[in-house]
Amino acid sequence: MVEVFAVASGKGGTGKTTSTLALGMALADRYDVTVVDADTGMANLLFHAGLSDADTTLHDLLGDERGVVADATYERFGMRVVPCGTDLGGFRDADPARLRDVVATLAADTDVLLLDSPATLASRSAVLPVVLADRVVLVTQATVPALSDALKVQEYAASYDTGVAGVLFNRVRDEDGVDDVVAQSERYFEGPILGRIPEDDAARAARRAGEPLLAHAPTSPAADAYRAAAADLDVRAGDAAVAAVADRFRRAVVPDDPISGGGASENR
Amino acid sequence: MTGRLAFSRTVTDAGVPLETALDGELTGYAVFEPQQTILLDSTDRLTVWFDGGVPTHARHSDGRAGGAALASLAAVAPYRVELRESDPSPPADAAVAPDAPADHLAGDTGLAERTREAAPDDADDAGGLDAVEAFLADEDAIEDIQARAREEAEQRADEWGF
Repeated sequence: MVEVFAVASGKGGTGKTTSTLALGMALADRYDVTVVDADTGMANLLFHAGLSDADTTLHDLLGDERGVVADATYERFGMRVVPCGTDLGGFRDADPARLRDVVATLAADTDVLLLDSPATLASRSAVLPVVLADRVVLVTQATVPALSDALKVQEYAASYDTGVAGVLFNRVRDEDGVDDVVAQSERYFEGPILGRIPEDDAARAARRAGEPLLAHAPTSPAADAYRAAAADLDVRAGDAAVAAVADRFRRAVVPDDPISGGGASENR
Repeated sequence: MTGRLAFSRTVTDAGVPLETALDGELTGYAVFEPQQTILLDSTDRLTVWFDGGVPTHARHSDGRAGGAALASLAAVAPYRVELRESDPSPPADAAVAPDAPADHLAGDTGLAERTREAAPDDADDAGGLDAVEAFLADEDAIEDIQARAREEAEQRADEWGF
């Protein structure tokens, strides 16, 4: 069975995309992993994964001329990667509800599906990955706004019956001082603190090089911390009928015509 | 309030006045008043002092001083903000790390980095996590944030057809 994780933070700058690819690469040692850039309005995963020239992206799967999922899926760094385009026209033409079908198709053929989610809760398309996921991985920082936003995402997730797989404290500068913050924060989060990722110039260098951190600087302190965090993530993937998995997502939420309100109560 | 007014706006992003102060190398102070408290005619306000654009001290009207004062403004944007140039006369017991306002009011890692670079070498950068510790210690404030988020999520679930 597949487990779908939304990697989410509620705010920008926390290092969500770096985290998504790092967790994906670390988990790929044990699982069949697919990573999707579900941030359809501010896509950037393609730049982190050396796919800025990708011909077909998620936008092509969400537009009127629905493409084939396999055409937007690229084998990179031991994972399958579905990038999203950065073209505004592509975003305008994208129907976020179709993400459900893309997730259903990808879910039929992978163990772990990571959705790199938008850095906001302000729109339907931004919240949709959290709705579709089984659980969220919250990426936060030891700052008041980042923690406040992570707590908000957790409440949104709970409202849609999406669990919390864990919390990553990212871009940590004061590694000793953060211990108290982590200890204090534990009681507010529904999932475990998976790790503290140190602020590391290697992450910036990796982004500039168009490679995931674990490929660009596999021995950096941040890469080590991501691998440790991934080891603590209790993935609930197992054996289940492929058809049942796909059906689960096809039936989940999002009526085809939300304006009419028909079927809107069919929450998971 | 005294001093020449350099900025007066209602903002949702606290980074805007902080960046204005940094880029203008402002020496003086900023007063943040949450809009909701202005409407309620409350006196809830945070004052941040600057030297050459770099934050040095902070105090909230609730009595909290230093880094902890910054936690008092969690999740209460928009704010009315005034920046004034004046001779700085901050309270001695209210020192903040130079980057703490950018981190904990604005949540802007890039601005925090720029502020650290602009800070004098002998700036006191202790207590950079005081704001977040004060935030996490305030269970009532966090319960408010959670309750508002729950309400918002449920309302939007109806609007968005989730």
